Amino acid sequence: MEKIILLTLEHLGLSTIGVLFGIAVGLPLGIMITRRRKLAGLVVGTTEMLQTIPSLAMLALLMMWLGLGNSTLIIALFLYSLLPIVRNTYTGLVNVDTGLIEAGRGMGMTRLQVLRLVQLPLALPVILAGIRVALITAIGVATIGTLIGAGGLGELIWLGMKNIETSKGVNMLFSGAIPAALLAIACELGLERLEKALTPRGLRVSPESMKN
Amino acid sequence: MVKFSHVTRKYGNTVAVKDLNLKIAGNEFVVLIGPSGCGKTTTLKMVNRLINPTSGTIEVMGKNIQDLNPVTLRREIGYVIQQVGLFPNMTIAENIGVVPHLLGWDKNKSRKRAAALLTMVGMDPETYMDRYPTELSGGQQQRIGVLRALAADPPLILMDEPFGALDPITRETLQDEFKRLQTELHKTIIFVTHDIDEALKLADRIVIMRAGEVVQDATPEELLRHPADDFVAAFLGKDRLSNQELQVAQVMLENPVKAYPEMGMAEGLALMKRKKVDTVLITDHGGRFLGSVSVDEVNAKHRSFNTLGEIVDQDTPAIEKTAAAKDAFNRINEEKLPYLPVIDEKGLLVGIVTRNNMVNALASVVWGDHNGSS
Ligand SMILES: Nc1ncnc2c1ncn2[C@@H]1O[C@H](COP(=O)(O)OP(=O)(O)O)[C@@H](O)[C@H]1O
Ligand SMILES: [Mg+2]
Repeated sequence: MEKIILLTLEHLGLSTIGVLFGIAVGLPLGIMITRRRKLAGLVVGTTEMLQTIPSLAMLALLMMWLGLGNSTLIIALFLYSLLPIVRNTYTGLVNVDTGLIEAGRGMGMTRLQVLRLVQLPLALPVILAGIRVALITAIGVATIGTLIGAGGLGELIWLGMKNIETSKGVNMLFSGAIPAALLAIACELGLERLEKALTPRGLRVSPESMKN
Repeated sequence: MVKFSHVTRKYGNTVAVKDLNLKIAGNEFVVLIGPSGCGKTTTLKMVNRLINPTSGTIEVMGKNIQDLNPVTLRREIGYVIQQVGLFPNMTIAENIGVVPHLLGWDKNKSRKRAAALLTMVGMDPETYMDRYPTELSGGQQQRIGVLRALAADPPLILMDEPFGALDPITRETLQDEFKRLQTELHKTIIFVTHDIDEALKLADRIVIMRAGEVVQDATPEELLRHPADDFVAAFLGKDRLSNQELQVAQVMLENPVKAYPEMGMAEGLALMKRKKVDTVLITDHGGRFLGSVSVDEVNAKHRSFNTLGEIVDQDTPAIEKTAAAKDAFNRINEEKLPYLPVIDEKGLLVGIVTRNNMVNALASVVWGDHNGSS
């Protein structure tokens, strides 16, 4: 039991680190391509391409290049999280009403202030949704990390599958698969709540509360 | 305060503003007006450098703005746009405090300022400071848009159709309120609109533009008296130019329920039922007004008579269409008439003025829309 908990935590840790790298690169990249619209197609296209590589193939390729271990898995998770984070950052920012951006500029905000005071707060829900998708994807992909010698719940699942004829094998499979599924669901729900909590209050007000 | 010298702005082959020369003095309320696409917004945005001129120079408070940092310049100029542009992620106080924040005021000072401004337009600071824009009505939001431009007390304010998206009543209220504010604040205002009534009401000076050029630059008085050309005259509209009182023809309803004298009693009754009226007006086949028949008459006399023509009331009062609308209203009130048929100089029936459309006509006069008959 203790082992399952440790593996679950490791699983979450690996996924989170991959996504954090994704945020560290994807967020600035998403912001940057709103300034250089010509690059937007190229950048989003490239991340889309990365996304289409089957996860097993991705891990195999990275392993050949970087060897076995957790860091190779983390790099794969990082690459997969780029698309939802870059794309949602870009769309979120671009969809902010141009009237608001012009109002901000007209009142004397610098470009950076427009970004910080207007665009990012308004795009935040969309960006967070991208991060949520990235994390859920990462939890899924991480289950095959064990094939390249990385940790996490994958170990239990794969060992269980190998010994599926024995009841021990079945138990092992479940003890890996069920926590992985629960982890994904918990992250989904948790981030959904975070998204709601971080949505600017002014965007959450229902029209019914309008007073004259 | 603001001086345009030979300012031109092109977009490819389109000349949005063409060799503009314009001087705006301190404390002046100047309205730029003209049809859509004539270059009003472009002119306005060149003042705070949201758009840079292709050629020519603009001075603000004696300085060529091309030499100034656009960000610093903009913080010294108030800016109000039609789409309101309140930031939905900020409270009302924060919205009003945007420019003070950019200028580095401390939060307390900025909140105090917001409270003072809200009080000035009759909005209770306690109630509104910490609300969000979506919790306010359209009119309230645009009030905040105006207050936001006033927050750092800039001497110059640019307004681009600020009241354009509001309903007529709210617009009127905000115009009055803003005019009152202006008499207290003495700002220099450049105000863009395409609503001539708004221009006449607010402006010290009206600059009429067409296709990027100034057609006339005059006070509202001068403009009404001496429109520069047919374009200006058409823009002003003939109602305002003739300076005449509203005529009956402008307020009457054009299709009264009417019938010929030989219409049968039962048919007349059915007609009134169908059109939901108490009276039908009778004309001959040439359209000449003969009189009226009321539903009560028909009901009382349908046994003894066959046609409407036999029971028509030939003494029904009528009024000429060129008479003053005021006279029609006075007669309706004083003689307690439910309606007044309108005839032309040849005695032909052309319309009707009812109690109801009198009220509508009065209301539309109040709103500056003289199409009382619609
Ligand atoms: N960004 C732009 N690119 C191309 N043409 C423009 C742009 N902005 C304005 N124009 C053109 O310049 C002219 C004046 O526009 P504008 O100043 O917005 O007019 P107004 O505010 O009087 O309606 C119009 O013909 C418009 O199509
Ligand atoms: Mg415009």
